[in-house]
Order: sequence, then structure tokens, then C-alpha cells
Amino acid sequence: MTALAWLGTLIVLPAVGAPLLARPAFGGFAPVTRAILSGGVGATLLTFVLTLFALAHLPWRAAPVAVTAALLAWALGAPVRATAASPEPERLGRAALLAACLSAVCVLAALASTLAGAATSVDLFYFWGPKAQQFALARGVDIAFLADPLHDYMHAYYPPLVAGIDALSTIVAGRFSWTAATLTFPILLGALAAGLPGVLRGAAPRRSAAVGSALAVAALAVIGIRANIAGNGDMPLLFFETLAMALLMRRDSEGAAVQLVAGLLLAGGAAAKVEGLAYALAAAAIFLVLRRRNAAGSIRTAARLLLPTAAMLGAWFAFGLTRQLFRDYSEYGRFFVLHLEFLRRVPTAMATALAGTGRGLPYLVPLLCLFAAGRPSRAALLPLGTAFALVLFFWFTYLHLSTDPSEWIAWSAPRVLMPVVMLLALAPCAPAGEAATRDTSGPSPG
Amino acid sequence: MPLLGAALLTALALWSLPWREGLGRPRTLVDRSTARQLAPGYRLLIRAAAVIPEKASFVTRTEPPDPNFETWYFRLGVAFLPGRRALPASDFGRFTPPGTWREAEYLVLIGARPNEAPGELVLDAPDGTVWRRRSPS
Repeated sequence: MTALAWLGTLIVLPAVGAPLLARPAFGGFAPVTRAILSGGVGATLLTFVLTLFALAHLPWRAAPVAVTAALLAWALGAPVRATAASPEPERLGRAALLAACLSAVCVLAALASTLAGAATSVDLFYFWGPKAQQFALARGVDIAFLADPLHDYMHAYYPPLVAGIDALSTIVAGRFSWTAATLTFPILLGALAAGLPGVLRGAAPRRSAAVGSALAVAALAVIGIRANIAGNGDMPLLFFETLAMALLMRRDSEGAAVQLVAGLLLAGGAAAKVEGLAYALAAAAIFLVLRRRNAAGSIRTAARLLLPTAAMLGAWFAFGLTRQLFRDYSEYGRFFVLHLEFLRRVPTAMATALAGTGRGLPYLVPLLCLFAAGRPSRAALLPLGTAFALVLFFWFTYLHLSTDPSEWIAWSAPRVLMPVVMLLALAPCAPAGEAATRDTSGPSPG
Repeated sequence: MPLLGAALLTALALWSLPWREGLGRPRTLVDRSTARQLAPGYRLLIRAAAVIPEKASFVTRTEPPDPNFETWYFRLGVAFLPGRRALPASDFGRFTPPGTWREAEYLVLIGARPNEAPGELVLDAPDGTVWRRRSPS
């Protein structure tokens, strides 16, 4: 029963995001897509409000936090005028139907694996779960708990989304549910399977959108099961990053409405895991370069895409600084003090780690599909450039360890490189031709 | 081609399921994961939560002593016994000085029962024992 109550609380997430996504500007999205985007926006805004409450010494209580976040969603949507385009109605073809069935099987496989205790992340027990549990008991970020030297493995500086949302569910359910926490893996994978094709429909025909989604979902299912990600921050991160990228790949991504939601989802990713910040910066920068807008337009776009991330992490670091808990993202070495003696070993160890996960197939298959699709369109440079930036980021990150990072890479690379796989799977869905990337004089029609 | 790739990866997802061990309800959430070696301590610590009172301190040890397992079990103890004070016998794979956990009121011992009782036995389970320790002299 605790697990059901704990998971039931997650229904509040789409409800919180609904005041934004229910606006007519988003009428072009199918209801299920809107609900799933609402869930992502709701989780981001709830986390932001939880952080503000913690900063202001206000105790976390479900109702005030949820109402404040929903009001914020409503206020953010008030200036939105441009609408997301409605794709042309298209018959559900055989390929799209088959792709949907494959996605459903993958979600069921992830569910079965999780329920069988075969996909559980040990990090759930080491820090994600204990932090959430303790935050729920303390009705806020428990400073004494995180500052205790015996708990220095808890990564006090890790951004607040997963522990915060899990804590909120724990407050409502009355206690933490380990089983429910692991089930967030198949649930979020299912949400992607249901919502992603609808978002990608703005970038590609129905068949391509469905098949690209199925490829991404299948690759994430395989790696998620084999690398044991159930209950940790990887699946929430992937949920935000995937939907944000799909939005930015749409033909109507020039519009304020789409950019605002994409920016909120990028902020959700940055609040889920440290590498979400690198993803947000890379995706936003490449988007701006590809769009070639005038200065004012670029500034407005950059603000929509990155201000939510800046606000979220600004609040989190303000909390860390004022409570003398953390100052930056550094743990595995001093920032920019690189150990170049491992320059070659890092990519070798990364390749070895990937090859050991499903014989490398979940990484190779999307890559082969990309090659088979022919020369990528200019718009495909957005997912591909972001993937390249992420690989460089992890290479750079692994070089910070003063000792041989091979072991660290062996247990982390298969998981942390999952967004790269997802980006490779989505790239062929990018619209062909210049229309998708050229500057337009105003918000997109529709 | 992408549809073929998705089909291949779907088959791989199904192949990744623990068919040989069965898909039935596991005793712990790590029973069929890569962390399955932690299952005995997982089971004992869950049961220990019923006999170690709120605010009490405890240390988790293994028999024979193993600094890696004791590090992991310390962390599981923090997770499964909220409201108690978990003290580490090992940290990051190295034994801590005994003074770190000398004051622990309870001992969770995973593995064989010791020849000499370290205190009052409060739980005897297949995966180990829990003891209320004698006050340190």
C-alpha cells in the first residue's frame, strides 16, 4: 500500500504543470503528449519551489508546495502567445503500429526486470533513497545529515530534483518505499514511449517519429536493465533530456511556447544530475548557432532555454553557500586539474565499458541506423552535436581523477552515456532541409 | 533499418531478463541485480530495524571481516534504519579505527555466529545475528 501511495503522489506532477500546458498555445499536442510534458514541467517547478522553501527555512508540506508550483506554471504561461503547430493528420501505418508495440514490450521488459529485482541501482540505497527519506523526516534538506562526515558519500551537492520529488512522495505516503522508487524506471520509460512520438511528430512524419521513438526506448530499456538504473537519477535525467531535445528538433521550435517548455525540461535535467547542466548548455548553444537569428532574437531564445536552469541551480547553490554545505560541483578532483597521463586510457576504458553492456549492441545499433539513414540533415546537427559534446564532457570529467579512472568508468560509463544513445536514435528524425534551421521572422505559425 | 534496430534491441531487452532465475517476486530488490552479493546483509538489516530502537546506535560487521562489504553494509544500514545512528566499521573499503564505533549500542553481524557472545542476542536469523552490546569498559 505504501508503494501505491508513494507512486500515486506522482500524479500531482502533471497536475502542477497543467496550468502551463493546458493553454491554447499547446493545443497542437495530443492530450497524452501534453500530460507527459506537463509531468516534466511539474517536476521541474516543484523542485524549484522545494529549493526556494528550503532556502527560506519553510518546511516542506505537499499542498503549499504543489499550489505554489502550479501558480508558477500558470504565471509562466501567461505571456505565451505563439502556438505549437498541429501536425497534419496522418493515418497510423503498419510501421508506426509495430514501433508502438515494440516500445510497449520494452517497457514491460523494464517493468518485469525491476519487479524481479534485476534492474535495481545500488546507488538508490547508498544515497538517492536515504537523502529522500531523511529530507522527508526533516521536512526539508537535512543539513546536519548531509554535513555529517560519516555521510560524505551522499554527494551533498548533487542537484535536488530526485531527492526532492522522492521526499515529497514520502511525506504524502508516510514512509519511503524502496520498491516504488525502483518502479520510476519503467514508469518514466513508459512515459517516454507514450509521449515521445507525439513530440517528434513536429519534426518528422508519423512513421519516422514512431520508429525513432521505439529505437530510443528500446536502447534505453536494454541499457537500463543491464546497467541497473532502477531507482537512481539516470531515468529522470533521460526523461527530461529526451523530451527537451525532441521539442527543440520540431519545425515549430522557433516559437516561444515550445522553447519555454524545452527550457523548463532542460532545467529539470540539470536539477536531476550534474551532467544535465552540460547537456543543457550544449543543446542550447548548438540550437542558437543553428538558428542564426539576429542578436535580440538570440538573446530571447537563450533566455527561454537557459533562464530556468540558471534559476534552478542558482537557488540550489544559494542554498549550499548560505548553509556552508557546498560551493560547487567538485568531488573527484579539483576542477580543471586534469591528469593527462590518462588521456588515452579514458576512451579505451569507456569503449570497454560500453562493449560489456549487451555486447555493445544498444550503442552500436542506433549508430548503424544513423549511418544507414544517409547524410544527416543540418537540423540533425543539434542532437549529434549535443552527443559529441557529452562524450567530450565525460572524457574531460574522467580526467579529473588523480588515480587510474578505469574502475570508475567501468561502473559509470554505460549509464552516463545513455543520453548519447538516445540522441543518436533521435537524430534521423530531424527535419530535412533548411526550413527547420533557418531564421524566421517571428513565432512559428500554427 | 531503424525499425529492424528497434526490433533487435527489443529482443535484447527480453533476453536481458533473468529467465533462468525466474521472474517471481524476489526477497530483496537486489536479488537478481549486479549487487546480489549484498542480499544477505540487505535481508538482515531489514529485520534488524524491528529490534534496534529509534535513536540507538549500531555498527554492521561481517564474519569474516571484510572492509568492502562492511562499507556497503554501513551504507545500507543508513538506508534501512532511519532514525538510528549507523557507525561505520569500514569506510571506502578501509577499516575505521575501532574508536569510531566503540560506542555502538547494537552490533549487526552478517555471517556466522561468533564463538564468544558480544552481548545479548536480540535477533537470530539465517543471514546473521543482532546483538545488544555490552557497555564498553
